[in-house]
Amino acid sequence: MTWVRTKLALERLAVGETLEVTVPAGEAETNVPRSAREAGHTVTVDGTHIRIVRA
Amino acid sequence: MSDSSSRRNFFRGAFQSAARAALRPDPEPEEPPEEVVAPLLSEAEIERYSRQLVLPDWTEEAQIRLRDASVLVVGAGALAAPVALYLAGAGVGRIGLVDDDVVEISNLHRQPLHFTPDLGVPKVESAAAKLRFLNPDVIIEPYQVRLDATNALGLVEGQDLVIDCSDSFETRYAVNRACCDAGVDLIEGGAVGWSGLVMTILPRATACYRCAFPVEPEDAQSCAEAGILGPAAGVLGTLQALEALKLLSSTQPPLLDAFLSVDLVSLEFTHVSVHRRGDCSDCAG
Repeated sequence: MTWVRTKLALERLAVGETLEVTVPAGEAETNVPRSAREAGHTVTVDGTHIRIVRA
Repeated sequence: MSDSSSRRNFFRGAFQSAARAALRPDPEPEEPPEEVVAPLLSEAEIERYSRQLVLPDWTEEAQIRLRDASVLVVGAGALAAPVALYLAGAGVGRIGLVDDDVVEISNLHRQPLHFTPDLGVPKVESAAAKLRFLNPDVIIEPYQVRLDATNALGLVEGQDLVIDCSDSFETRYAVNRACCDAGVDLIEGGAVGWSGLVMTILPRATACYRCAFPVEPEDAQSCAEAGILGPAAGVLGTLQALEALKLLSSTQPPLLDAFLSVDLVSLEFTHVSVHRRGDCSDCAG
């Protein structure tokens, strides 16, 4: 569900805008950055803090 | 851009309302700005539809388009079961069901919306009860009537999409004519024996059912005559539901100006091209 909520939040942004997400430790730490990169966004990860620039 | 491709990309429901509102004159300064944005999905909706929302091209807007859609399903039998179940599950906002039959024991092997305790119950009421259990957020409208040429237009007008799950050529032609007259998109389907077909129609933009089949085939058989297995009808109804979700969400293009012919013995799917006929009695002119 973390990626779904992140994906919907990204849809509400304009291209180039940034979304910062703090995910719960565990699966989402891997899944959210991977799914965001697969969707073409630019992703930087600092532990559970994930910064995504919308493509 | 062609008529058909431009129609595939249009926004429905709340998005149309937003576009219309944007054309209105500016409100008086003392009035608060008019709310023109469709309500976003609730947390409950995000959770219920999460497995389709996670699809890369299935956006929140696509889900809201489904929520705002009205679909009429003609028939409440073998094809209609997967159609109505998948549309209700996916979150189509309003689903009408048209059928005048009651549940009979010979229906149950291929019509999974009806169970043994439903024998004798109107099919539309039996189906509506199951669909409301599946998704209480969807409005189900049962019409216990037989659709024919005299009432088809009234039932079809105002719908965003009609899905024909009937079992006779007479009904299919009546549905096709009404959808052409009302300008309502249509997904035709049929299954008998070990074969079936699905055809998506954007009236007056793409070939219609009458363009493909100008007259009823002389050797046409019903399921009562030729027989049918439950999964055969299930495959064709599921394909109709898939085409419906593509069309309603505007996420993927449906198959147009063609019908899909399905051979369930060889498991072959064949696209058969169809062109609009200049002399079509339903869609020409």
